Amino acid sequence: MNLTFAEIIKTVFTLSLVYSTIRISISIIFAGMGEMIVERSGVLNIGIEGIMLMGAFSAAIGSYFTGSPWWGLLFAVLTALVIGLIFAFIAITLKSNQAITGLAIFLLCVGLSGFLLQVIFAHGGNSPMVTTLPIIHLAFLEKIPVLNEIFNDQSVLMYPALLLPFILYIFFYRTPWGTWLRAAGENPRALAVVGVNPITVRYLATLAGAFFYGIGGAYLSISQVSLFSENMVAGRGFIALAAVIFGNVTPRGVFLACVFFGFMDALQITLQTAIPDYLIAREVFMSMPYVLTLLILAGFIKRSGGPADIGNPYYKESR
Amino acid sequence: MDRIRRFLIRQEAIFTTFIALILSLVVVGVLLASTGRNPGEAFYYFMRGAFGSTFNTADTISRVIPLSIAGVAFSIGAKCAVFNVGIEGQLLLGALASAIVGYIVKLPAVIHLPLMLLAGALAGGLYALIPAWLKTYRRINEILSTIMLNYPAFFFNHFMVAKALPITGVVPATPFIEDTARLATLIPETRFHAGVIVALLVSVFAYILLQHTSIGYEMRAVGQNQSAARFHGIPVEKRMILAFFLSGAIAGLAGAVETAGVHYRYNDQFSPGYGYDSITVAMIGLLHPFGVIISATLFGALKTGILDMSVYTQIPRQLVTLINGIVVLFVAAKSMIVSGYLRVVKGKNPVTHEGEVTE
Repeated sequence: MNLTFAEIIKTVFTLSLVYSTIRISISIIFAGMGEMIVERSGVLNIGIEGIMLMGAFSAAIGSYFTGSPWWGLLFAVLTALVIGLIFAFIAITLKSNQAITGLAIFLLCVGLSGFLLQVIFAHGGNSPMVTTLPIIHLAFLEKIPVLNEIFNDQSVLMYPALLLPFILYIFFYRTPWGTWLRAAGENPRALAVVGVNPITVRYLATLAGAFFYGIGGAYLSISQVSLFSENMVAGRGFIALAAVIFGNVTPRGVFLACVFFGFMDALQITLQTAIPDYLIAREVFMSMPYVLTLLILAGFIKRSGGPADIGNPYYKESR
Repeated sequence: MDRIRRFLIRQEAIFTTFIALILSLVVVGVLLASTGRNPGEAFYYFMRGAFGSTFNTADTISRVIPLSIAGVAFSIGAKCAVFNVGIEGQLLLGALASAIVGYIVKLPAVIHLPLMLLAGALAGGLYALIPAWLKTYRRINEILSTIMLNYPAFFFNHFMVAKALPITGVVPATPFIEDTARLATLIPETRFHAGVIVALLVSVFAYILLQHTSIGYEMRAVGQNQSAARFHGIPVEKRMILAFFLSGAIAGLAGAVETAGVHYRYNDQFSPGYGYDSITVAMIGLLHPFGVIISATLFGALKTGILDMSVYTQIPRQLVTLINGIVVLFVAAKSMIVSGYLRVVKGKNPVTHEGEVTE
């Protein structure tokens, strides 16, 4: 064996691993931040994965037919909002079981994106190549060694993704709307007493969440790669859901959890190429993100953080 | 008149589910028409594909078998408030485990066949204990954990057939199982096999367990109201773990039956999504072991019909998954249908019955 352990470590843990971590985290950050808003309002949307999938699909379609990835992004957001509205109607207005509704949204989107892909392009499991969002190259970063390798030449969507946790922190804890949002999840009846309708708050939060899942999905098809393929979200929506739990539904926690899960994914991809298949099979690394996510949840879970009224429908008169 | 009305109110769940199903198909029809396809033509090819000949009908039945078993698997969990979305993964592991037992040992059929089916059930059941532990002791939502666990199951199986086991054929697959491990074909030259008996037995088993044993009663009590069940001294966690195990074991059995009756080996393109279909099948079957057989028949026909249809029309086979999604969505939104239905059925003057609350 001519590969020493030290050599493997050296080829794996490089600055390009950090670069990939950021690159891969972006979609998980958008999805996780979106879900955090939703859960804070007392709603649990398990359908993230599905909405991301439709976002990725719509973005590719929009970019393909208009030639502009920005129209693709807009199209993704609109699609996500429509699906978010359907979810909100069933889960909030009809007061159906939120977990089952989310599951239904997931199944619907898997079917719809696969079906429409075939209807529109009539071949294989992929869309044609589409135009992608710009990659930002900052000239002044070239002179700063480490930061240059990590942050330069990333997608334009990296900037909102990295700012989002700060904005949401201020929104949650420094604005009245943030207080209403948290109150809707903790004690909706008290919120109603002050004259704010919890239903409205939950609707808006669910739509805001869908907005961000849509961007997270769009990032995959019009930035991370340049086409849509069937089921391309590959569990990232569920990993984002795990990140919200792991991050205790707080902006800082969820952000760190998203980056951590992004790191896991970047690491397993690097390990796949660094370690020969006969030594450790690729399938082991491919399973890593899912297994580790569950292991971490099992080991670290805290029950103090989440909103008190999550998952319960809001009834006007207390029962 | 009053008796019909009373019947319609009592069987509200069945009728509203039926309405939800009809509405879903209307939506699908509209969707097909709006993408420039002819729903009428589609329906013709669909029916021809599902029931057009003995071969096609047998093919439909061969799909009803795993759908029905997997539908019971989801139902038995859901009855105990366990939403096992990991049936796909458990089914695949069960199929692989049974295929290995099927080809690796030589035994008389009376032992070999039950043994390989048992291996499948055990593989699925044991795998389901992971989300069971995560839910009961670590409070991790099982929808999240079971979906995530489908991926490693798939990768593991791929690793086994592509790298660990002897490779046969172009597609990575296990060797063929021994004749002694196969379920008999009931109509020659078709896929209609003796798994149909296993499917019926599974439904009967689930029915007896849930309706006629105290453990089944306790499982249903947990499903109805956990805190009330706990208050009455029912070991909620134990019953949930049992529900997980049974759900996973039945899912694994579905995979084993598919191996023993249809493919005679495990290959990489084994399940056309039976695990996910099982959710829809179970919900339309109202989580009832016998209701599931009826809805599995419907979705078995849907699968063969649409596959055939996609050959003759420009309608992609992904329509199956789409229909699944739309149906589950309508079932989730059923309270809307229920309130409308009750308004119509009850008429302007709500009739009162013993034990029924008027609005």
